[in-house]
Amino acid sequence: MDLMEMNVVSETNQFIVIQLGEEQYGVDIKYIDNIVRMQHITRVPKVPEYLKGVINLRGEVIPVMSVRLKMGLPVDEINKNTRIIILKLDTHGNIGIIVDEVKEVVTLETENVEKVSYDGKDDRTNYIFGIGKYDGGLISLLDFSAVLAE
Amino acid sequence: MDVSQYLEIFLDETKEHLQSLNTQILNLEHSPEDVDTINEIFRAAHSLKGMAGTMGYKRMQALTHELESVFTDVRGGTLKVTSNLIDAIFQSIDALEEYLTNIQANADEGNNDNEHIIKQLQDILAGGGVEEAPPKKTKGAPKEKVAKMKKQENWLEIPIGENEAILALAKKQGKNVYGITVKIQDSCLLKAARAFLVFKAIEDLGDIIVSEPSTQDIEDEKFDQIFSLIIISEYPLARIIEAAESVSEIENVTGGDLDIDTSDVSDEEETVLVEAGNALAVDNAAASGGGAGPQPEKKSSKPVVNRTVRVDIEKLDVLMNLVSELIIAKNSLVSASSSEEGTDRSNGVNEQIEYLESVTTNLHESVMKVRMVPIESVVNKFPRMIRDLSKKLNKKMELYMSGEETELDRTVVDEIGDPLMHLLRNAADHGLEETAERIRIGKPENGSIFLDAYQEGNNVIIEVRDDGAGVDIEAVKKKAVEKGIISFEQGENMTEKDIVELLFHAGFSTAAVVSDVSGRGVGLDVVKSKIEALSGEVEVKSTRGEGSVWTVRLPLTLAIIQALMVTVGGEKYAISLGSIQTIEDISSEDIKFVQASEVINLRGTVIPIIRMSEVLDVESTKPTEDGMVVVIVKKGDKMAGLIVDELMGQQEIVIKSLGKYISKCKFISGATILGDGEVALILDANVLI
Repeated sequence: MDLMEMNVVSETNQFIVIQLGEEQYGVDIKYIDNIVRMQHITRVPKVPEYLKGVINLRGEVIPVMSVRLKMGLPVDEINKNTRIIILKLDTHGNIGIIVDEVKEVVTLETENVEKVSYDGKDDRTNYIFGIGKYDGGLISLLDFSAVLAE
Repeated sequence: MDVSQYLEIFLDETKEHLQSLNTQILNLEHSPEDVDTINEIFRAAHSLKGMAGTMGYKRMQALTHELESVFTDVRGGTLKVTSNLIDAIFQSIDALEEYLTNIQANADEGNNDNEHIIKQLQDILAGGGVEEAPPKKTKGAPKEKVAKMKKQENWLEIPIGENEAILALAKKQGKNVYGITVKIQDSCLLKAARAFLVFKAIEDLGDIIVSEPSTQDIEDEKFDQIFSLIIISEYPLARIIEAAESVSEIENVTGGDLDIDTSDVSDEEETVLVEAGNALAVDNAAASGGGAGPQPEKKSSKPVVNRTVRVDIEKLDVLMNLVSELIIAKNSLVSASSSEEGTDRSNGVNEQIEYLESVTTNLHESVMKVRMVPIESVVNKFPRMIRDLSKKLNKKMELYMSGEETELDRTVVDEIGDPLMHLLRNAADHGLEETAERIRIGKPENGSIFLDAYQEGNNVIIEVRDDGAGVDIEAVKKKAVEKGIISFEQGENMTEKDIVELLFHAGFSTAAVVSDVSGRGVGLDVVKSKIEALSGEVEVKSTRGEGSVWTVRLPLTLAIIQALMVTVGGEKYAISLGSIQTIEDISSEDIKFVQASEVINLRGTVIPIIRMSEVLDVESTKPTEDGMVVVIVKKGDKMAGLIVDELMGQQEIVIKSLGKYISKCKFISGATILGDGEVALILDANVLI
């Protein structure tokens, strides 16, 4: 059991806490390249609905997806707190995800991360790999290989 | 130690030399007496031999040595150039290429000795110039075994220091501890590479514990001709010395057992140090004597035909990015000025823009030129290939090339070789008739294949032409029906052009007999997809009995293009200017229906139209009664009219990739960043047609 957790949270255990709908999620800080304000997104035709389009980030064209739509949550409500988190992933290149709000950075000890068993029934647990416990409560830790899978 | 720094140079130069050999030998076949050609070949062979030797590729060296010998005789006039000789030489060039491929793949030349080729060359040598041409003395003359202890025993002075324990342990385990001193020939140019080979040879037999000078210094060539090693090995000393001596350009290797008293360590250490002190003076004298010798001349054999420039493509890419940023900056200025129109400042801004514009245009052009390389490097190998095919297929044929100097983006040039080769093979195998047949129908006995390259606007056209039989429409149709690609009824209704297009269908080969030249089921469809991957296209035109023309159209550059900006449903899109034919204003009455699809009749040509708002899933913002803007795009001889809402104007745009994550959308070829920072998508008209 200990071994499993070691694999899950190994090099770094700092997470950025984000708000998506009613819930708080954690994004491993090692994947984060940048956090930018909501900006104009150019729509790309003939792609799945959750792919909102592309943005210009200092001369680079970066695709942006709605995690809400991907996870089956209601459509994003864009307001002044809305942010785009730019993730840097080996498998997918750079990609932006829209989140309702970015709250804080938390450091989680290994023993405060509980691995979630994978059950096919609930769609949303498919997108997280664990639950983190910290002072403010619980955060679901996002599993990007699942979130970004097509 | 790392030999890769030399390896790259070696690979590059060897390729050049082999290419030059190929070309020159083809020349030689046509004019066997040409002295310049023979000299050029001799020089190339000589350089190859030298390089292979220096890098320690012995098999390659042996083969090139024979080549060189042959051409020594040819140059001396004692050996006549015969077709037999040419064949043998081509074979050896192929063998050398094989070595090179092996080296490129895993830094090792492989195990093929190619003895039969060497034998063949030796036979030619023996048969051609027995009296006057004694085989050249093999390099590195038999190495005499130097008596041990006679020369400098540098290994004795190696400070053992902290390795003492390891050595003592090895002794205890019954392994041998040796010290050896290696002396490299004074004439050796790449000492470090040699030393590396010695290290490699010895490491196969045991472990190197200490090296004097240090490995790093040896790698940096910070040593004279001599270096010493302490080795732990299970093998006898003689075997290790033999291994080290087998590396070429090694003058001698001496060595002996290193005595290490396993019981009394500290004592031993002292002795070694004292001995080292004594030996030092002697050794310094010997070493400086050896190292100070003048470097023998060697560079004289550099061929003069080298016209290529090697530029690190990564550096170029950085440069390209800089240019794209500049253009983006320029575009920002443009949009800034248009929002300030009427004020006094706008004049100054305009001036700035003009300046910036000329700078960026120039920069763009010059950078593009650096990226461009002539297709020569690719097409050079084709004459040789056609010659081989001619022999293999037993058809007489000749390749005529023009426009080898036509330049293309380097990435395109690297990729275009295979498709072109395939088209040429196809022309040779399927296109040209058998020689007997040609004579019968009164065509010239020699079949002709043409490869013409030229620039046309923003494209480069490469045409592969043959004067063979042309495509047999009926055979293609029959075959396609047989293979189930089309139904019989479909076949009856197809135009000749459509039938010819079937050749590009996957799994299509018309050769009745499958040969290893062409027709393994994969073929033209692969050519097509490869060329399309390079944003190019390929077409075929054929006249029965007169031959076929395969036209490959490639974009000149890939990164920056002139584009027409349009809006559709409030969104901005770019269309490459290269594919735009004209722009027309039409009214909705002009649209007619033909077979349930919309067309317009434009000055006698019927052109299908595509409503972009439908393709892009947006509401058009323009009321139809105002008339419509149609952008007529062209691909080859096909045209289509794209209905857009509004035209915004022409702009130079930088093509950016949409990223791996969004690559599903076929008719979007990329994106670009506009002056206001917004992203606009680029429509690929070629896919829409």
